[in-house]
Order: sequence, then C-alpha cells, then structure tokens
Amino acid sequence: MKQSEMVAQKDYWAKSACKMCIHSCAIVAHVVDGVVVKIEGDPDNPSNRGKLCPKGHAGIMRLYDPHRVKTPLKRTNPIKGAGVDPMWVPISWEEALSTTAEKLKKIREEDPRKLLVAINDFHRIHIWGWGSAFGSPHYFSTVGQYCGAAYHPINGTLDGSFAAVNDYDHCKYWIQIGAGDGFSSHLHVAASIKRMADARVERGMKLVVVEPRMSSGAAKADEWLPIRPGTDRAFVLGMVYTLLYELNIYDAGFMRKHTNGIYLVAPDGNLFRNSESQKPMVWDSVAKAAREYDAEGMNLQDVALEGVYKIDGVEYRPAFQVIKDSLKDHTPERMSEICSIPADTIRRIAKEFGEAACIGSTIMLGGKEYPYRPAAVNFYRGAIGHFDGGLDSLAMKLINLVIGNIDVPGGHIGVGLDHRLLIINAGKDGMLHPEPHLLHPPYEFNEKPYSFQLMEWYPIGIDPGHLTAENVLNPEKWGFDFQPEALIIEHSNPMWNLSATNKVVDVFKKLKFIVAIDIVLNESTDWADIVLPDLSYLESHLLVCIEPPMVTGHVYRRPVIEPLYDGRDATDILTDLADRIGFLPNWNGLLNFTTFLTPENYLDPNTKYSNLEITDRMAKSIYGPDKGLEWFQEHGHTTRLQTPEEMYLPFAQKGLRIPIYFNFIKETGDDLAQKMKAAGRDWDTSSYLPVPIWRDHHPLHNMPPEYDLYAFAFKECQTNFSESTTIPWIDEAISCMPIHLGVMINSKTAQKKGIKTGDILKLESPFGEVTGRASLCEEVHPECLALSNGMSRWSQHPVGKRQVTTHFNKLLPGDVKWTDGMTGHLETSTKVKISIISE
Amino acid sequence: MSRIMPLVGNEYVLGFRKQLEWSGLIASAFFFGKIGAGLFMMSVYTESRLGMLIGLTIVLGGKGGAHMLFLGKPWRFWRGMSQPGTSWVSRGLWAMTFMTVFGGAALILPAGSTLFMPLAIIAAFFAFIVAVYDGFLLTSSNAIPIWNTALMPVMCMFYAFLGGTTLTLFLTHFGIIPPSIIEPVLSTVETILLAVNLAIVFLYLITCINSGGARKKSFELLVKGPYAVAFFSLAIGLGLIFTLVMTVISGSHAGPGVVAMVTVADLIGHYLIFFLFLRAGVFKPVFGLLKI
Amino acid sequence: MHYGMVIDLKRCVGCQACTIACKAENGTPPGVMYTKVLDQVSGEFPNVRKQFVPVLCNHCVNAPCQRVCPTGATYKREDGLVLVDHDKCMGCRACYVACPYNNRIFLKRGKLKSGYHGKVFTPYEAVKYKEHQDGIVEKCKFCSHRVDQGLKPACVQTCPADARIFGDLDDPESKVSRLIRSRGGVQPLSEDSTEPSVYYLS
Ligand SMILES: Nc1nc2c(c(=O)[nH]1)N[C@H]1C(S)=C(S)[C@@H](COP(=O)(O)OP(=O)(O)OC[C@H]3O[C@@H](n4cnc5c(=O)[nH]c(N)nc54)[C@H](O)[C@@H]3O)O[C@H]1N2
Ligand SMILES: Nc1nc2c(c(=O)[nH]1)N[C@H]1C(S)=C(S)[C@@H](COP(=O)(O)OP(=O)(O)OC[C@H]3O[C@@H](n4cnc5c(=O)[nH]c(N)nc54)[C@H](O)[C@@H]3O)O[C@H]1N2
Ligand code: SF4
Ligand code: SF4
Ligand code: SF4
Ligand code: SF4
Ligand code: SF4
Ligand SMILES: [Mo]
Repeated sequence: MKQSEMVAQKDYWAKSACKMCIHSCAIVAHVVDGVVVKIEGDPDNPSNRGKLCPKGHAGIMRLYDPHRVKTPLKRTNPIKGAGVDPMWVPISWEEALSTTAEKLKKIREEDPRKLLVAINDFHRIHIWGWGSAFGSPHYFSTVGQYCGAAYHPINGTLDGSFAAVNDYDHCKYWIQIGAGDGFSSHLHVAASIKRMADARVERGMKLVVVEPRMSSGAAKADEWLPIRPGTDRAFVLGMVYTLLYELNIYDAGFMRKHTNGIYLVAPDGNLFRNSESQKPMVWDSVAKAAREYDAEGMNLQDVALEGVYKIDGVEYRPAFQVIKDSLKDHTPERMSEICSIPADTIRRIAKEFGEAACIGSTIMLGGKEYPYRPAAVNFYRGAIGHFDGGLDSLAMKLINLVIGNIDVPGGHIGVGLDHRLLIINAGKDGMLHPEPHLLHPPYEFNEKPYSFQLMEWYPIGIDPGHLTAENVLNPEKWGFDFQPEALIIEHSNPMWNLSATNKVVDVFKKLKFIVAIDIVLNESTDWADIVLPDLSYLESHLLVCIEPPMVTGHVYRRPVIEPLYDGRDATDILTDLADRIGFLPNWNGLLNFTTFLTPENYLDPNTKYSNLEITDRMAKSIYGPDKGLEWFQEHGHTTRLQTPEEMYLPFAQKGLRIPIYFNFIKETGDDLAQKMKAAGRDWDTSSYLPVPIWRDHHPLHNMPPEYDLYAFAFKECQTNFSESTTIPWIDEAISCMPIHLGVMINSKTAQKKGIKTGDILKLESPFGEVTGRASLCEEVHPECLALSNGMSRWSQHPVGKRQVTTHFNKLLPGDVKWTDGMTGHLETSTKVKISIISE
Repeated sequence: MSRIMPLVGNEYVLGFRKQLEWSGLIASAFFFGKIGAGLFMMSVYTESRLGMLIGLTIVLGGKGGAHMLFLGKPWRFWRGMSQPGTSWVSRGLWAMTFMTVFGGAALILPAGSTLFMPLAIIAAFFAFIVAVYDGFLLTSSNAIPIWNTALMPVMCMFYAFLGGTTLTLFLTHFGIIPPSIIEPVLSTVETILLAVNLAIVFLYLITCINSGGARKKSFELLVKGPYAVAFFSLAIGLGLIFTLVMTVISGSHAGPGVVAMVTVADLIGHYLIFFLFLRAGVFKPVFGLLKI
Repeated sequence: MHYGMVIDLKRCVGCQACTIACKAENGTPPGVMYTKVLDQVSGEFPNVRKQFVPVLCNHCVNAPCQRVCPTGATYKREDGLVLVDHDKCMGCRACYVACPYNNRIFLKRGKLKSGYHGKVFTPYEAVKYKEHQDGIVEKCKFCSHRVDQGLKPACVQTCPADARIFGDLDDPESKVSRLIRSRGGVQPLSEDSTEPSVYYLS
C-alpha cells in the first residue's frame, strides 16, 4: 500500500525493519490513531519468523523518547567536556546546513585530510564512503577493530563470506567460542535463538561453550569450559594436534578436492610453482612426480597430502604436511598451560568433535548429495578480538577445515554481508579469489602514512580506528604533517566505542568543529557544535539486510508513521552537504557503486537525488525494472531462505578451491615487509603467517605482575552497546539483572582480596582506571573480571544514569603495539589491579 | 536447597522475597481493633457504658480510619463486604458493622432498659470476632509461613484481652469509668494475661527456631535481622516483661504514675509486636521444594 | 477449555524479550512487571549451573488470591483465567499477601500521574495508561484480550526460543498437554495445592 494511503488509516499493521541493533529483523508495527502501540516480529519473514528480542520490542520507547533530537541544534556553550552542558539552542535547517557546509568547504579547499570521519551506520553501509568522496581517508570510530577486523578479512579470504555461523539445521556438535550466536548477540539474535533452541532441544545437538564468563549460551550449554582470555587459539590448536597426531582424524577427501592442502610448499613457505606455467605443483604418488595441480588424468586419490619430497635436491612438502609440522609442538599439555583448560579436557573434546564430524558421510539436500559434517566450531569477538587475532581466526577456521566442514551441511557456513551471499570469484592457482575487503577497497600503500588509522599499512585489515587518536596526538611518530580540525559523526559514538578513551577525549578537545547526525544525544554528540536530527528507523525508508544467516533478500524499512519531528533522512542530509560543499559528483559516483546500481539506473553526477529515488533505483537494479519501491510498498520484504546451492559448497560449484594453507596472507605480509624495508621503516609483519601457531610474546599475557586480573567487556541480549540503556524499559530490566549490576568477580578471588558485593572498586590498567561496583559470582573465571556494556554509559541522557558508571574502554590501550599486525584488530581484553575505594 | 537461597529485593533472582504492602496502617488497624474490642468487651462485663463507647470509638475511628487510609480505593470499601463466604476481610467488616449496630443500639437505650444487656452481649460477641479475625486472616495465608500458624488467632485473642484490661485498669484508676469490680481483681487478671501473652509469644518463637525456609528467614529478621532491637527491647522487653515486673511488684497498690507507665508500655509493645510480625513476612521462593 | 502455559526451561535463554513484550502489550507503568525472568545460580566455579526461570501469574485452579478477595474483584473465568476487575478492586492487598508466588502488584495511589519520563507522557503511554487504575492490584492476565481474539499471549508470541507454549490443558492432544506428559511438567509450589495452570519443563 502507498505510504500516504497506509498512514491515513485509523488502525493498521505496518511491515518494516528493526534497527535496535546492527541487524535487521523484520517487524510489523501496530498503529492506532497515529500512535505506535506495539511492535512484533513479522511472522512472514523467514529469518526472525515473528520473533523479536527485548530491544526490538523497546523500539517504541526509542521512537517516542522525549529526549530525541527534534530539530537541528547549535551549541551555545563554547566550553566542551564530559558532563558539560552544551546549552543547545534549536536552529533552522538552513542555518545548520549552511554553517556546516561553510566550515567543511573551507577545510576541503585547504586540505580535505583535516576532516575526521565517524560514520558507522550499519544499516546504511552505502553512506560509509562519504568521507572518502569528500577527500578524507580518515576513520575515527570503531566497528572494525573492536570486533570484525580479525574476523571478516579471514572469512573473506577463506570462502568469500563476511561472517560465518554453524549450520543450525544440521549441526550436532557445536563448539561456541567467544560468541553470542543463538543466545545473546551477533547475527540476527532474535532469529538465531529459535534455531539454536530447536537444535539443542529437538535435535539433541551437543553444545560446548568456551568463555571466561558463563554467558547465557554457556548457561544453556552441555558443557562450559572457562578459559583464560586471549588464549582460545591455544585451546583450538591443542585440539587440532590431538586430531592430527593422536586420533588421526581429518577429512583427507575434502582437503584433496576442495583445498590447497595438496599444493607443494617450498622450504621458504611459498608454493612450489611450475617454472613456465607458474601453476602450483602437487605430488602424484603414483607417478612419483610433481605435477601441476590440475594436470590431466591425475587421480586426486593419488595426490599426496603428507610426506616430504625431494626435487632437484630441494625438499617440498604438501601444504597439509607443513601445517602438521608447524603444530608438532602444540601438545594439549603445552596448550593447557596457556589457556587453563586441562589437557585431558582438550583431548576429550577433540575426540568427541572429531567423531561427531562423521567424516565420509553424505546427505541429500534439494536432490543433490553433499558431504555431511555435523560438527563445527563457531566463534566471534571474544575469540578473535585480540593481538594476533588474525591467527586466532585462522586457528578457528583450521579446526573446521581439518574435519572438512566448511560450507557443507552441518558445518561452518559462510554468511554474506548483505543480499549478495558469498562473493565467489576465481582467483589465481585454481583458488577462490580472496575477499578481505567487503566494506571498502584497500588503501594504496604509501611510505608516508596518509590515514590516521594507518589503513595503508594493514593491507588485509579493517580500519584500525583506534590508532587515530594516538596518531593525531603524536603526529611525529609516523610523520603526519597535518592535523585534524573537524569531525563528522553519523550513527557513531567514538567517544564511547573507541579504546584509550582518555586519548579520544584529547582529540575531541583539539577539534574546532564537530557536526553529528543522530537521533539522540550520546557521549560523542555531547561534544558537537551542531547536531542534525536523523529520522529514526520507524520513520524512514531503506532496503536492508545485514549479515543474514540462512536467508537472503531485503527487508524493506518503511516509515510506520509520519515522522514525529523536524528530522531528515541521514542520506538526504549527507547528499545536501555534498552538494553545498561541492563534491556531489564524487558522492553520486560512490552511491552508484554502494547501492548496487546498474548502468541504466546510474545517478547523474550533478543532480541531487532523494533517499527515496536512490532506494527506488537500488530496488530496480537488484530486482528488475518492475520491482521498484512501489513493489516493496505493496509486497513488503524480499527475504527468503537460501537454497542448498546458495549455502553449500558455492566455491566448488565454480570449480574453485579454498585455502587451508593461507599463502595469500604470507604473500601479503612478505610484500608489505619489503615495502616497509624499502621505506626504511621497522614494521612488524611477523604475524602474516600461512599457518596459525601459538606465539608466546603476546603482550596481554606479558603484562607486569601487579596487573593480576584479566578484564573484558561483554554484550547480552538486552543491550545494544550503550545506546539502548537510555531506553527506560531496557534500563528498568537491566537494573534488576545481576550480570548488569556490577563488575563480575569470582567469589573465591574476591574472598582472597577481601571484597564483598557492593564494594566500590578501583580498576587500574596501565592505560587508565575506572570505578565499579563489585558483584561476586560463580559465573566467571577466577582470573577475570567481566564488565557488561549495560553499565558503561555516561552521556547526558537522563534515563538510567547510574552513580557508578564503569566504562571498560578507559582501561584499554590504542596503539600499534596492542594491535594485531595482520588485521589491525585491537587487543580488546586487558589486565588490571583492583583496590577497594569504599565498602 | 531452598535454605541456601538468598533473601532478594527487586533483582531478577530466584529467592525469598519480603512482603512489602502490609505495614504500619494495617498494624494500626489490628492494634486499634484489638484494644478497642478488648475494652468494649471488658466494659460490657463491667457494665460501663462509657467504656463501651470509648471501645467502640477506638474500633470505628482507629481501626476503621486506618483501613480507610490504607485502602487504594477507600470509597469502594462497601464492596469488601460481598465475600464473607471465603474472605476474612469481608468477615471482619461484617463483624465491625454488627458490633457497631448492636453496641450503638445498646448505648442509645435509656439507662436501665431491659434490652441493654442482651444487645450489649451480642455486640460483645462481634467485638470478640473483631478482636480475633485478623489472626485468622494472617493464618489463612499459605504464602507467608510465619503468619501461617494456629497460634496467631490465639495470640490476637489474648492481646485483645490484655489491651482491654490495661485500658479498663487505666480508665478506672483515673476515675473515668466507675470501679464496678474492685481493682485488685483487675490487676491480677492483668498480671496473668501478661504472663500468658509472654508464654504464647515464647511458644511462637520456639516453633520458628527449627523451622526451615521462609519462616526461618522471617524468624531471622525478627531475632537477628534489622528488627531484632525493636523486637526484643520494645515488643517483648517493654511490652511484656517490664509491664509484668511492674504489675507484680506494685500489685493492686500501684500509684497513678505506675499504672500510666504500664499502660503506655503495654500499648507500645502491643502495636510493635504485630507491626514487626507483618514486616517480617517473607514469601517462599516461587519454586518451593522443587529442584530445577 | 482450560488455558495453561508450559515453560520449557531447557529452551529459555533468559533474554527477557517476554518481559519487555508484556510491557509493550499491556502498557504497564514503571515498576509494574506482569512477568520477568529470574536467574538461579547453583554450585561453585567451575561446576556452576545457571537456570533462567520465567515467572508470571499461574492462573491457579485453586487460587488463594481469589478466595481471600473481599470484593469479588478477583474472579475466575470458565476457561481458567484468573482476572482482576479493575472497577471492583478496593486495593486492600489481601490477595497480595495471599499469592504464594508474589505475583500481585499494587499500583500506589497517584502511580499513573507520572510515567517513564516523569510527568511528560509519551504518546504511547498517554494511550496505554488509560487501561490501568491506581490504588488497585494488577497482575498478568494471560493476555485475555488477545486470547479472546484467538491470538497467543504476547510473551508466547514473541519468545525467540519458543520456551513459552500456550494452550488448552483440558485437551489431551494439545501441545501443552502432550509436553506435560512427555517431559513431565511440574507446577511451582505444588505443595501449596494451588493447582497452577503454568507448568515447567526442566
Ligand atoms: N544484543 C546485542 N547483539 C549484538 C550487538 C549488541 O551490542 N548487542 N552488537 C553487534 C555487533 S556490532 C557485534 S560485533 C556482535 C558481537 O557479537 P559477540 O562477539 O557474540 O558478542 P561479544 O559479547 O562482544 O563477545 C562474545 C563473548 O566473548 C566473551 N569473551 C570475552 N573475552 C573472551 C576471550 O578472550 N575468549 C573467549 N572465548 N570469550 C571471550 C564475552 O564474555 C562475550 O560473552 O554482536 C552484534 N549483535
Ligand atoms: N566497551 C565496549 N566498547 C565497544 C564494544 C563493546 O562491546 N564494549 N563493542 C565494539 C563494537 S563490536 C562495535 S561494532 C562498536 C559500535 O559502536 P557504535 O557504532 O558507536 O555503536 P551504536 O551505539 O550502535 O551507534 C552509535 C550511535 O548511533 C546513534 N543512533 C542510534 N540510532 C540512530 C539512527 O537511527 N540514526 C542515527 N543517525 N544515529 C543513530 C546512537 O546515538 C548511538 O549511540 O563499539 C565497539 N566498542
Ligand atoms: S536482533 Fe537486532 S534487529 Fe533483531 S529484533 Fe533484536 S534488535 Fe532488532
Ligand atoms: S522470551 Fe523466552 S527465552 Fe527469552 S527469557 Fe522469555 S521465556 Fe526465556
Ligand atoms: S499465581 Fe497468585 S495471583 Fe496468580 S492465580 Fe495464583 S495465587 Fe492468584
Ligand atoms: S486488592 Fe483488590 S483484588 Fe486484591 S483482594 Fe483486595 S479487592 Fe480483591
Ligand atoms: S500472558 Fe500476557 S500478561 Fe501474562 S505475562 Fe504474558 S504477556 Fe504478560
Ligand atoms: Mo561490532
């Protein structure tokens, strides 16, 4: 139904999309006399099937929050600071936009690199590039390095995916490492909780959860394995060792057929190539000779996975043999020392896992036969959000590869960034083309860095925005000869989300002009000079689909009521600014690309297009000329379940192999090392390894002994970062939930330190300190403190203000030393010493 | 396992929870109901119209007033009379009404009327129910074990008699109502009632000591928790022991000062003990004995 | 017809979607929760067991709250629902102390004068608070308004884990009856012989 007709009714249910977290469950909103009285999950949507998480329901109170930004605001208090009242005054859109455009135009003329950019809008990834269209390479916020930097690039390198999750419908032995899938967070949690519950209860799937904290997932698991933070790789490699050296369980067939495990590797770690064709070579054990991997008439069964082969005096080993050799000293005993999980437990889990994998068995789906590997390791931020996170990710992938469960029924399944599913293109060597960069193209290397987050030096990473503050404050370190003057924020909260909070504050202090596009005021917008009100998700149009497991297509976000206030769609605001500042052509050019427009729908460089027109063209480009916005207004969403072909072995359908030996990463590292050497810079590329191993020089585990407790932050289902704690329904619930009431500390540890529940503690790391209320419990590793995001907010929003706020990020570092060399991921755990401030 | 459960406030945790609604005003209603009804009964016995009037006034003004202040919708109080079949609140309301009607009727009769005594006795009967029904009200609540004991009504009855006697003693001593029976008798009755109440309260606490679950939690609140001081020093110490000692020592020759002191002490103890019993009310955990 | 609910503790992940969905459905004012999900942690690290236990009115067959109610405001429907007639309740809280499950909530006088943002009502609250009265006792109503339209209660409809199942306990073939049989459903505080219509599977 047309928008105008729909809202004209007295009583109706409107289909739209939730945006109370980064994902995009489908909703129906009940509107009576123009008031939204209920939001429910859309039962027709194959993803969340009528279900919503608590945040989804609380959307009503976000929409009607009286503290929303209702008109453009101008700060009248020149003094800025945490807790300082900006003394906002409402101003007209014209004044707000012209002032902003004027300031930014001047900057752009002088040097566009003087603009810092913090655009994090998960649902509007198409606008993330606004800064680069403006001419600024900077990123001063985080999504990447706090969660996905060490995750997405590895997924993309493995199988062209953006994310991944185990096969809810077929998995029978699920190991969950530092991830909330199916319980509390990550991919469409409202949808995945049901899939996980069905698997656990209906299909009797065994669930093992590895976490330092008893998360809601661990509470439901058959087994909770408390682990020391930042050591998950050790646990997993201990399992791989057991499988390869003690149990001899691995899927040779999968490796031969679908991976580069058979490619011969030279002593220097590079692939052994045919000197003419440059094709990788394999060892034909019948012909007793090295042959091109795709040689005619060679029987795959005869190709060697193991062994050492001398050719012209040089010893070559199949990649799988190299992997095995690299791990020969990763015994469960040694790994146990590192991760604190007993060696026999590592062995037992490895055995159960290996046996559950049913290597060799197959299953018929959609009339096709697929390998059936109903065992898989699922993981996310907790497991890989660390120094050496890239290797953590590789290890998690490796254990899945070993049992041959990648993208097969029951196994570990790639998930696309959006409707595009996996990006399967032919790369070299008969391999899938690695896709580490699904968010934006890589930055050109340069001897002299040009982006404050040093993106040009992390060729397969995701913008390490946490380095920006450090580099702005110490420009000489890498030789930045320019300084930022302004910051533009859209759907982002750098002051809260970044690590090394004190440095971030110093940068905010330096900035002459800050403009923010937001719907509520947060820790960052408290510092803005001008705030521009966006339309909330229940008031705006968008086609959206964020990291959808099992499904594909788009959910149509539509205004369920007329906008309440004088807001404007963020896309329209940015287009208007681009026009006024004078780079509309670049902006439109970028949108052509980021909204998937087909040539006939391209935007004219010099015309201003409304978000509605752009969305309409996007719809037509993806779904055909007859499926524009009108079609979506009639029919709603296009989401549907993925077909088996789409989900399973998509690379094999194109005759492509995936890596088990990550030579791409090694080659990238070698290339970078060379360039850096040439540039006369010493830059650590030692983590660009083709095989994940444990490396002892891990800064987290080598901190001065007085910092005796690990500390980390966690998400649970009730909150989305700090934002949703400003919603009274959420605030009310979490103020009653023990896990959100204080710093979780193991009761035994607390006893030793004479700490009681309710004591006010000081937590000190080498990088900062916070206060927090002690909350004794059994649900956390004795060496750890666990901090809920639910108690982290200190913005001026009056709802749910706590006397004691404990913002974990103040305890974290934000420099290269604490950043994963391979991917730019920040070490998101730290160690602290604690003392009692008051009882 | 319900033993190791915590006493929780509004946290979302399975455990024992305190009842938070019945407190000061309900305690006042109980208090005035008992002393008023007690005095009324004694005064019917001593044939003191003034005593009956005062008793009735305490019940209507004190108890009735407290109830009206307590009710969320006071002017719907009349609806409360609709379920005497199952509800002790309804029964109490009816008892109060009848007590008022018959007592009032008796009082407006001219002195020496033959109808006086019959009406007064019927009224006294309902006064008795007013005095004890809240005991049954509390006993009937399965939800809060420390109330859920047969001793409750008994305790209410004796506290009513005690209250009535104390007040009669006081009023006769200060000549407000004529001494129809010689004071010595009264003061011996007082002494005995004090002793009996002390015994009942003692018995009541004994039954709690080796109880488990919610009753134990309540008991702990009373004897070592936040209420312990008030409970021992005022409710028992002042209200029962001090008064007992005084009456025993001074016997029937107690001077006005002593009588006044004893009266005040007794009333304070009386109010507090029921107030604390209410405040110490703890619900069982939702899952009771169930292991999950 | 006897409506009842089965709560599968194996499925429940403690997300509190039911808690908030109930709020949204019934527009309850601050502090008034018809349902919530309690934690139960037992054992000591590392042998810890954590259960999430959703609680709501059990719509007891033999309901003390109804028995003690002096006004008849609390009544039982043919289909087993125990409801409170807001226009009859006089706010004496006899039911509050009588409910062994502590499921009755008294709305203080003046409670509805302010909402989640103090005196300013959101348009949603302005509409929803009309369904409530102050000075009376409320509780979960098994979403009678939805059930009467053939819909599931809001908490059941939304539960992402399908841990809450609603249906006819009288019908031996209903999903609730079958689950109670096959998985041995238990009633909370059954020792109090209140005969709850809510069963738990563990
Ligand atoms: N409800 C909710 N859902 C969300 C979000 C949200 O804010 N709230 N945010 C979305 C976004 S942007 C992201 S990135 C994802 C994040 O999704 P997840 O990664 O699943 O969530 P986190 O809570 O960040 O981390 C998962 C768990 O890691 C544990 N952990 C911490 N350190 C370690 C460690 O060293 N080892 C192990 N094994 N575990 C550890 C924590 O206890 C935590 O429970 O969720 C998305 N979905
Ligand atoms: N301590 C701690 N820090 C963390 C994390 C953690 O778990 N703990 N998680 C990390 C991770 S994984 C990530 S991805 C980042 C996320 O960090 P952010 O992306 O900053 O988090 P959000 O709160 O989702 O979004 C920021 C702001 O967007 C605004 N907003 C909400 N809705 C709208 C809207 O409709 N339009 C506009 N224009 N603005 C809107 C709100 O003011 C909100 O505060 O945080 C990272 N930092
Ligand atoms: S998971 Fe995210 S998108 Fe889905 S309902 Fe919850 S908040 Fe909304
Ligand atoms: S919604 Fe379902 S899973 Fe979530 S807490 Fe409630 S009952 Fe449990
Ligand atoms: S649970 Fe409580 S309120 Fe609900 S019916 Fe039973 S006794 Fe009444
Ligand atoms: S408070 Fe209302 S519902 Fe409860 S017993 Fe009194 S009158 Fe009945
Ligand atoms: S049945 Fe309805 S009223 Fe009762 S708890 Fe569920 S949602 Fe709330
Ligand atoms: Mo994230």
